[in-house]
Amino acid sequence: MNHIAYFILQGSIILLLAPLVNGIIGKIKAFSQKRQGPPFLQLYYDIWKLFKKDTVVSTVSSWVFKASPYIVFATSLAAALLVPTVTGFMPKGLPGDVIFIIYLLALGRFFMMLGALDTGSTFGGMGSSREALISALAEPSLLISLITIGLIAKTTSLPGMMSKMQSMGAPLLHPVFVLLVLALLLVILMDTSRIPVDDPSTHLELTMVHEAMMLEYSGRYLALMELGSAIKQLLLITLVVNLFLPTAPFAVAGVMPFAAGLGFYVIKVIFVSCVIGLVEVYTVKFRFFSVPNIAALSLILSFLGFLQFFVLGR
Amino acid sequence: MENYLDILSVMILISSFALMANKRIKSYINTFRIQAMLIALAAGMMGIETYAAEKRVDILIVCLLIVVLKVFYIPRMLHRTYADIEYKVGKDFFFNIPLLIFVSFALVVFSYYCISDITGINKGELNLQIVNSVSVVLIGFFFMISRRKAIGMIVGFLVIENGLFVTTLFATQGMPFIVDIGIFIDMITGIMIMGIMVFKINDKFDSIDINNLKNLKG
Repeated sequence: MNHIAYFILQGSIILLLAPLVNGIIGKIKAFSQKRQGPPFLQLYYDIWKLFKKDTVVSTVSSWVFKASPYIVFATSLAAALLVPTVTGFMPKGLPGDVIFIIYLLALGRFFMMLGALDTGSTFGGMGSSREALISALAEPSLLISLITIGLIAKTTSLPGMMSKMQSMGAPLLHPVFVLLVLALLLVILMDTSRIPVDDPSTHLELTMVHEAMMLEYSGRYLALMELGSAIKQLLLITLVVNLFLPTAPFAVAGVMPFAAGLGFYVIKVIFVSCVIGLVEVYTVKFRFFSVPNIAALSLILSFLGFLQFFVLGR
Repeated sequence: MENYLDILSVMILISSFALMANKRIKSYINTFRIQAMLIALAAGMMGIETYAAEKRVDILIVCLLIVVLKVFYIPRMLHRTYADIEYKVGKDFFFNIPLLIFVSFALVVFSYYCISDITGINKGELNLQIVNSVSVVLIGFFFMISRRKAIGMIVGFLVIENGLFVTTLFATQGMPFIVDIGIFIDMITGIMIMGIMVFKINDKFDSIDINNLKNLKG
């Protein structure tokens, strides 16, 4: 019973909040260009409309093309269900292991690349080869920073890590975590195809990465893909937010503490999405071969954090 | 207080990594300005602390000097020097950026390895602030030898100076006032002479590429 309630609540929080992040970032970009911009809920409208439309499937494609949107959506939702959003509200016995979550996301990304390759269009191949490079560059620093936190908390389960980090007071007042949070923010920019790496709003074929992979999809499949990547983005933001920013003092049961925790969580997510939006406003898209520079910086920051923890032993 | 200074020393180290990752001369002058702001912040915090404890104002004066010189005067002068010779923009470094960053990281590991061995006041216990600031000095040296243009070398020199200042600040809670002032005057004259030298090099060789100095003939 407890488990079912948890899954329903967590799933509805994730599904309702994930498209909002894109809305906030889009609004910030629009304001910086003195435009009104699309409404906050634009992605909800888009997805709703796409779900009602027909899908067009190329005759040369195989079952991979049709299966991969479902796999992308399912893996990111499953991974997101294992990341506690409103801290303290997670029943015992769930496998909230960090490495499991990272590789669930990797499975979804693998099928996304396969689906893009399946139709044999040029852009799909180009996009998936670029995505493979970017994800291979981003993964080490994500793993190293999360494993460092795991070493500090002496567990790899996410609820344990989060409660340990929250019990330290303000984690960002510790030098190791300053390094790790910067590394994770760079990883978010790389993994969610944000501007220094990939422009999410472009339709110029030579520069796009994520859009190029979804070019062949339409209708319901496209909606699932969009929702899946929005959920993945919210998942990564949730990691940063719940590990490094202080949460409301949580109690396990009761409606009022839950509501307070939820409000706090939403405020923190909005804050981090504002930070991402500002980064998008103030930077330009890098040349594709400059992406390894960001990746190297992120890797070194996470490794420096690991080193400092290792040497200082605190 | 120690905690905040720890974080500031880490931020200064991160800013020197960011300096290493920058490609264009303009952007690393700006990053240098950010680093100078962080250093001024550290000096200001320490200055307020010593003022509250011992009624000393010298670190506060030094902080003011850093703000005036390193945050405003020197970056503006470098920008102006660069604006006059901007028409020859080229690649400014020998290796690609990931390699530069990895070498800087190796320097940081090296300074961890060396300083964790010190026998002295710390007696084997590692002082994070000193390790980070010594790494900034080493990264400054590496920055200097990895750049080809004269302005990059000036920025490298300034980073070395920043690192030395932070090291003394963190190690001794502020040097005697006269020493700090002496270092500042040295630095200012050095920078001015270097700025004039850049113009001279540009006049003689039509570029600020240091490699041309190898071809000096009498």
